[in-house]
Amino acid sequence: MKDYVINIDSLTKTYRSGKTSFKALNSVNLKIKKGDFIAIMGPSGSGKSTLMHIIGCLDRPTSGTIIIDGENISTVSDNQLAQIRGRKIGFIFQKFNLIPTMNALKNIELPMVFLGGTKADRNQRAAELLGKVGLTNWATHRPSELSGGQQQRIAIARALSNNPSIILADEPTGNLDTKTGEQIMKLLVSLSKEGKTILLVTHAIALKRYANRVVNMLDGKISEKK
Amino acid sequence: MIIDIFGMALQAMKSYKIRTFLTLLGVVIGVASVIMVTTAGGSVSSFVAEQFNVFNPIGMVIGTGTGGDTPQLSMRSVVFTDNDVEKIQNLPSIKTVAPVGIVPLNKILKRDGFLKWESRPGETMYASTPELLKIFNLELEEGTLFEEGKNEVVISKNVAEIFGTDKPLQVGDTIYLRRVDGRTLEAKVVGILKESSTSNLLGAMANPGVICPIKPYYSTYFGSNAGTVLKRVVAYTILLAEATDTKHVQDAQDQILEYLDSGGSDASQYKDQNTDFVVITQQYILVRIEQVVSVIRVYITAIALISLLIGAIGIANIMYATVTERTREIGTMMAIGAKRRDILQLFLFQSTIIGLLGGILGCILGAAGSWFVVDLLNRSVQNLGGVIAGGSIQTIYAPEWFLIASIVGILIGMAAGILPARRAAKMDPVEALRYE
Repeated sequence: MKDYVINIDSLTKTYRSGKTSFKALNSVNLKIKKGDFIAIMGPSGSGKSTLMHIIGCLDRPTSGTIIIDGENISTVSDNQLAQIRGRKIGFIFQKFNLIPTMNALKNIELPMVFLGGTKADRNQRAAELLGKVGLTNWATHRPSELSGGQQQRIAIARALSNNPSIILADEPTGNLDTKTGEQIMKLLVSLSKEGKTILLVTHAIALKRYANRVVNMLDGKISEKK
Repeated sequence: MIIDIFGMALQAMKSYKIRTFLTLLGVVIGVASVIMVTTAGGSVSSFVAEQFNVFNPIGMVIGTGTGGDTPQLSMRSVVFTDNDVEKIQNLPSIKTVAPVGIVPLNKILKRDGFLKWESRPGETMYASTPELLKIFNLELEEGTLFEEGKNEVVISKNVAEIFGTDKPLQVGDTIYLRRVDGRTLEAKVVGILKESSTSNLLGAMANPGVICPIKPYYSTYFGSNAGTVLKRVVAYTILLAEATDTKHVQDAQDQILEYLDSGGSDASQYKDQNTDFVVITQQYILVRIEQVVSVIRVYITAIALISLLIGAIGIANIMYATVTERTREIGTMMAIGAKRRDILQLFLFQSTIIGLLGGILGCILGAAGSWFVVDLLNRSVQNLGGVIAGGSIQTIYAPEWFLIASIVGILIGMAAGILPARRAAKMDPVEALRYE
């Protein structure tokens, strides 16, 4: 059990609107090992986004348990959930979601700000990560001055800033051209080799090849086949 | 950490310069108008209070004319006798009474050498007792008061310079006063008054140019034909009086009118049927002015507070717009570890900074604005001329209002920001991230 970085057991998420209810997740069981690169695939409405939100501690399940890195997140408070998010999860979004009023370096620093690191430590770490994604010379540029690929690399650096164990990437290449998308995917693969657990949520079948495990979702249920 | 969030708030405000500036402007104008109104109001109030010091608050003018809410003196009938003076003097709320006989002068003359005469047009001359000076709040610059029965006069600074500023009349000089009835009376100048403003009795009476004793200068009689014997009594147009203190001015006025209107007074017999007895007090007029000033002050302060409220609504409005516009950013921040409290602080800081900055800038603008308003008021006060005892309104800043305005600015910023900030902090991160 301890080997699993994510351990999901009979997870159910029900959305209610008025008298009708809709099961977005229906008794999902999923165990993910440290360093796995998992592609969660499925059509829209299949529940893959809901699953990602719950794994990302943005949402809570209706029933079932989910243990992330040893912590049962079904029962914690909003504040604790925010802290777990900050410490253990790195998010990468389709639209990059950088803060437009902050430069590249500040964007990378932001998750550390919310965890309360010292300014010197933050600066050093952010500069280091900026080097890792190959954008050292772009530190003071705002997102609007960067290309899509550059913005996504800044977003990856930001996702890494608190050294999380899990990276959640939601259609990370959706807004990029094929070549740039490939570079981003290679960057994610290299992170997985460094021991990060990567969850890639996508419906682009072409991205399957980067993953070492593929989870298919349909109507709130999981079916696995390589 | 909180410093970093403060920095982020500043950064966001810098990025939306025009929006921040316009929101700020709303608060600045609100705070500035409160400062302006309170400062101008305070300045005018203390100016009115100063007028009290120039006027004699316990002084009153007794005469005939038209009564009612706005009493008017006519100064035509000569009705008050020495007997009336004595009776009024004995009323409980009266301190002093001075009869005033108006002596119309044709000319003031001065001997120039042995045979030559210099002549000037006449001035207002009041025949009275030395009490008149006290009631008029007049002071001697040099010399002494006149003595009853002697050919002595006290003259104003203006009259002293009637023969030229280069050769003003001195204490000890002799002048000749030609009355309208043709008689010329010798007079020794024994005192010269300090320069004074247009009217110390608030326009009820002009300040005197020459003040003389009743004897030997005043000889107006009221003649009544009682059968074949002509009864001759010295009578006066005006009586001046002082109440015992400011609290008894109203009482004194009531007592005087009661006495005069009763059949027992000589004046009631001599008075024309169509005229009323009139007592004009200084306090009455000044109290009215103060009432008007304070009503206007309350009214304008209310308007200023409304503009402050509009400033606050401006902040709330723009904060709601900002929160809505930055929904996805809020979602992102939550996803990367921001707690609800962090988001709340981020937006609350923005509105509070706007409130604080608006408060400070509003104070500065308000201070400058007050100066202009007071300057403007002074210009119109000068146009009022004789009604005002002179001097000008000084801009008196109330430091406590600057402190209050700054604190109010911060409070308004916080109050206006709290709802939008809470809305931001309560967002569901999943929904916020999905927001386009």
